[in-house]
Amino acid sequence: MSAPRLEMSGITRSFGAVKAVRDVSLRLGPGEILGLCGHNGAGKSTLIHVLAGLVAPDAGAIRLDGEPVVLHTPRDAQRAGIAWVDQELSLVPALSIAENVALGRVDAGLLRHPRRERADTRELLAKVGLDARDPDELVGGLDLGTRQLVEIARALGRGARLLILDEPTATLTDFEIERVFAAVRRVARDGCAVIFVSHRLGEVLELCHRVTVVRDGRVVAERPVAELSAAQLVEAMLGEQLEPAPPRGPNATGERLLRVRDLSVGTRLRGFTFDFDAGRVYGLAGQVGAGTSEVLHALAGLLPAATGSAELAGRPLGLRHPVRNRGRGLGFVTNDRKGEGLFLGRSVAENLTATQLDVVARAGQLIPRRERRHATALAVHAGVAADRLDAPVGVLSGGNQQKTLVGRYLLRDDIKALLVDEPTRGVDIGGRAAIHELLRAAADENRAVIFASSDLDELLELATTVITMRAGRIVGVYPDGVSRQTMLTDLTHGRA
Amino acid sequence: MRRPTTIPLVLALAALIVLAATTDRFFTWDNVKAILSSASLVGIVALGLTFVTLAGSMVSLAVGPSAVLAAMVFLSALNAGLLPALLLAIAAGAAIAALQGALVGLWNVNPVILTIGAGFLIVGFAEKAYGEATVRPEGGGFATLNSVPLGIPVAVYVMIGVALAFQYLLTRTVLGRQILLVGESREAARAAGIPVARVVTAAFALAGAAYALGGAFLGSFNMGASTYLEGTLTFDAIAAVLIGGTSIAGGHGSPLRTLGGALAVAAITDLLLLRGLGTGPQILLKGLLVVTVVIATQRRLNGAQA
Repeated sequence: MSAPRLEMSGITRSFGAVKAVRDVSLRLGPGEILGLCGHNGAGKSTLIHVLAGLVAPDAGAIRLDGEPVVLHTPRDAQRAGIAWVDQELSLVPALSIAENVALGRVDAGLLRHPRRERADTRELLAKVGLDARDPDELVGGLDLGTRQLVEIARALGRGARLLILDEPTATLTDFEIERVFAAVRRVARDGCAVIFVSHRLGEVLELCHRVTVVRDGRVVAERPVAELSAAQLVEAMLGEQLEPAPPRGPNATGERLLRVRDLSVGTRLRGFTFDFDAGRVYGLAGQVGAGTSEVLHALAGLLPAATGSAELAGRPLGLRHPVRNRGRGLGFVTNDRKGEGLFLGRSVAENLTATQLDVVARAGQLIPRRERRHATALAVHAGVAADRLDAPVGVLSGGNQQKTLVGRYLLRDDIKALLVDEPTRGVDIGGRAAIHELLRAAADENRAVIFASSDLDELLELATTVITMRAGRIVGVYPDGVSRQTMLTDLTHGRA
Repeated sequence: MRRPTTIPLVLALAALIVLAATTDRFFTWDNVKAILSSASLVGIVALGLTFVTLAGSMVSLAVGPSAVLAAMVFLSALNAGLLPALLLAIAAGAAIAALQGALVGLWNVNPVILTIGAGFLIVGFAEKAYGEATVRPEGGGFATLNSVPLGIPVAVYVMIGVALAFQYLLTRTVLGRQILLVGESREAARAAGIPVARVVTAAFALAGAAYALGGAFLGSFNMGASTYLEGTLTFDAIAAVLIGGTSIAGGHGSPLRTLGGALAVAAITDLLLLRGLGTGPQILLKGLLVVTVVIATQRRLNGAQA
């Protein structure tokens, strides 16, 4: 057999005292799809960054088709035929598909050739199953799944021999995911090697031929998917057996806590009316654009265009007044962690106490000792390592960042309803279980917990009542559990 | 790490020390006093401006006009006594700035453009209200502001006092923390239920009070005030804030840093004077420093986000 498409041997890289990757070796043949799994902080990203030319290894060698390559910059990587499709898409919305595909090619000359670009693009689009698309269409008008496919087409146009897909499905709907998978399989059949990075283990097992698990910077398992179950995969990632969360019955006190009447936001949310009880966890199930996120944002007072009314424990909420709603007992955790959630440059402690300054101050003056104590208590409750309190929150893993956000509303009796938009997006499996436990505990303390999610597994695991939504309207309400099939039907075909 | 930029400040200080060591008469008590007193006016207003920058509103371009109007209010109210005149001027300065802060806080109006407009309005109002002639003091209280207890001008004591008070306010009060959080991320502050509009208004009001205090000293020192008095005050204050290392993007920095920035600018100006260089090189160097610091800060921010 010829040389493998990719051969990484003895790759090691430290950041200060932290060994992010130690002596990792990896082989991948042409046409093979390799799943790369691991906790946040396990070393996945560093490995990917090494291949993308963003991080130079301290030691080790990389060969492509038997040829040693040196990847100092992203341009080197592109020249070597390595394409990295990031979770944050890098297409320019204001340009056409063809222009985006031509953009940033290292072999591009000074002049553009629109006609040839268009013809090339059409050919590339066909390879990813987008035969019907017009290369002149603007990228801004495409849905996220199609954009992902355009990214892959662009990678192929750059002569990719190795395609790295980094969490490509995090923001996609189930239909879009299917299309992306079909394209990836086709690309692999044509001989391209693929590395697929995802937290969603079901997807890894479905798509990949082989799985490599990294933990603490080392490869701890490498097996064909045929010999691997989801439970074994989780075990390899965590290094321990994860106890399945005990199913919980509803412990509702019957108290109507949050009444929402006719909540609407333009055409995105139409006439949402519902009564939420204390002591329950409500899951708003919907795909991107279903209106679930709008329900939570509007209740938090963050959508000035919202109309309708809402009442928390008998007192009216203001749909344009985030400050008042917070004061009336509403906690809100956004799905946009980096934009609307965290104060990225500030410490974990300051992020935790940002919404609780009243607790750590007297007469408007902060009491440093009290703030320290309170931040420590919040960190412990939220499961964030207390020795990270002084670290800028931006350097934490996704899971710890999310715990920090949830932690803001812990240890407060005045929080009556907790709204969480996509509780575990981009969070690894260990962090996910911990965040679910936090939310259940909040409901046990007689709060109403309402979360929005497009992840069916999460809805099945966490929600005591599932509310399915499509196109801005409620489709079904299931207080006593619901099957995956029913949910899928509601989300995709529900009579909206 | 997204800390305020320290390297340029250190470099500037190092260059300063080398220059100073090779300049006659620089390390004399008289010269130190000269530096302190020439830093004091700009220092006081720059300390206020720091809050605007920290709150994420970049800079105000109405600093000079506000100080001049406050000087006019102060001088013409002196017949009521020193303290009432001072309080009146400070209240006026705070109110005018608070109004601008409310517009920025509530509607997210671009602060730079807004304060350009506000600057014109303030000058126009001052000329309408006080005529185009120079406003003269209506009482003798201003002499107290010009006095030099223990050989050091009152303005220097006031600058140091304001710096300490503002530093406490920033680091040890809820308002100070909220100013930093809003400056770090307005969206995150809004979603967290922090009263963004109120916080920005308060930051501007604090700044306005400091502009007015500086204005009172400016008017006293010149024993009169006209709209021509502002000179380069606005830009000197901005330079002091930025050279001190407070991030133009907001959220990082402090009044103590601004104090350092104001003193550094004054020391450099003094050095160039002692070496016989005129205003041209002084302005050139100030410009060079600001540009260097802004570039260095931005590079650090870019690095932190990569």
